[in-house]
Amino acid sequence: MKPDLSVSFARLRFRTPLIAASGTFGYGTEYLEVSDYEAIGGIAVKGLYLEPREGCPPPRIWETPSGMLNAIGLQEVGIRRFIDEKMPRLRELGTTVLVNICGSTVEEYQELAHILDSVEGVHAIELNISCPNVEEGGILFGCDPRMAAKVTEAVRAQTKLPIIPKLSPNVTDIAVVARSVEAAGADAISLINTMPAMAIDVESRRPRLANIVGGLSGPAIRPIAVRMVYQAAKAVNIPIVGIGGITSHEDALEFILAGASAVQIGTMSFVDPSVWRRTLDGLEAYCERHDVESISALTGGVLS
Amino acid sequence: MRRDVKVKFLERRALSPDASLLEFESDFLANELRPGQFTMLRLPGDDGLLLRRPYSFCDTDVAAGRFSLLVKDVGRGTRALTRLVPGDEADCLGPLGSTFTMPPDGKRPVVVAGGVGIAPFVAFCRALSSVGKVAVVLLGGRTAHDLYLREVFEALGMDVRCTTEDGSVGTRGRVTALLDEALDAETQLYSCGPTPMLLKVAELAEAKGVPHEVSLERRMGCGMGCCLGCVVYTSEYVRSCTEGPVFDASVIAWDRDPHPL
Repeated sequence: MKPDLSVSFARLRFRTPLIAASGTFGYGTEYLEVSDYEAIGGIAVKGLYLEPREGCPPPRIWETPSGMLNAIGLQEVGIRRFIDEKMPRLRELGTTVLVNICGSTVEEYQELAHILDSVEGVHAIELNISCPNVEEGGILFGCDPRMAAKVTEAVRAQTKLPIIPKLSPNVTDIAVVARSVEAAGADAISLINTMPAMAIDVESRRPRLANIVGGLSGPAIRPIAVRMVYQAAKAVNIPIVGIGGITSHEDALEFILAGASAVQIGTMSFVDPSVWRRTLDGLEAYCERHDVESISALTGGVLS
Repeated sequence: MRRDVKVKFLERRALSPDASLLEFESDFLANELRPGQFTMLRLPGDDGLLLRRPYSFCDTDVAAGRFSLLVKDVGRGTRALTRLVPGDEADCLGPLGSTFTMPPDGKRPVVVAGGVGIAPFVAFCRALSSVGKVAVVLLGGRTAHDLYLREVFEALGMDVRCTTEDGSVGTRGRVTALLDEALDAETQLYSCGPTPMLLKVAELAEAKGVPHEVSLERRMGCGMGCCLGCVVYTSEYVRSCTEGPVFDASVIAWDRDPHPL
């Protein structure tokens, strides 16, 4: 019998445990020609504010050892254009849709959640409280357990949709933040967002990014992410979505064994659009080889 | 239709101490790509690189199922390509991006290129040649060996004019010096090259009211319109991988785009 690779948690069902990470998969349809969408369990769309945003000036990206440094600054189309122009095609994909939202104030998060609550085809809200590249909001909410809880609680009051706060690695103790959003009503948590980082061109003596600092993603941050997923999983009872430099089924399994119910893939999707099928096939072969009937059975299965 | 295909490296032709023309085999890309488009290329195996790198297509041979890239050694990505040996495979995502448009009837094409900015114009001039059009091709470089593929443009019947900063070939000075006399109301301009050159070219074209298409080179993360790393400012930030790399130069807000690679 084929192993069951679908996962269900937080009142959501994902046909595979592989979710496209916010900010790396546009508004969902960009990769239709080159990626196997059957292998993708869900899509977290680019972070949205109430209004469109211009983003940071270029240069916005720079490659570092096994990593990608970016300061895009949440260039996005705003919630209205998203609903009118992007949502119809996203609905047609028939995948699980997580809408990532961001605000400079608690009220903005609330209003976004209120609007999304009645939008057909939106399955969950991912709360972006961890973007390192915006001046207000973003990471400021995610680094303070009380603020993280305040945003989560405020959004909770506006929607019946599952809420998944996306946490920053830039904290002293991830367990504290995780417990704090759990108590505030989060249905699951996703982590980690990018790691605040910087690179300098020594010839010109200028930072590589116009924003000076950016967020580091890719395999370079994976061990940090696995550690944080492990610590968060020990601290809370809600499900965890693991994120950070996943390139293969082995990487995905590290997160799952550390305590993740599903994972997100971001940077590697830029590098290899076939990462979805390749990773899913790898997970299936692993389950068969280890007599695992359902991928969910592996969550938190690391031995100690 | 875009695809991620395995292509076979065929041969390298050194054009200068730091630039080469690389030939690859792929029926799909040879057939599908249009002048101005690019590919996101990646070499298999762990060569210490993570992201793909964007390269403009230089030329194609549809019958032979071949295409070429003009690559100058500028960093880790291009250096990795120097290790390719015939028979090696590479992953090419493409064809990507916008294309040059053919000049309307009655307009004479003028091409201006600096250094490796010449790359996308080989295929473009081949297309012009196939419909009996002759472009004035202005090539600029620091010295003689920077004037890549001059003989290819001449063989295509183009009207090639050169400048070098050291005067070793053609007129001494910058390529923009030749532009003024080449442009008039009946011309349409196409450009690609270093940003300071493009700024000057755009200024001249605008002053003369000459329609101008420019191909911009930017750092790119995905090439598919998702990472938003390659943006250029118009009235907002637009993606050079999807809205570009070929733009109507009049929409570019050059003062908002001091983009060092």
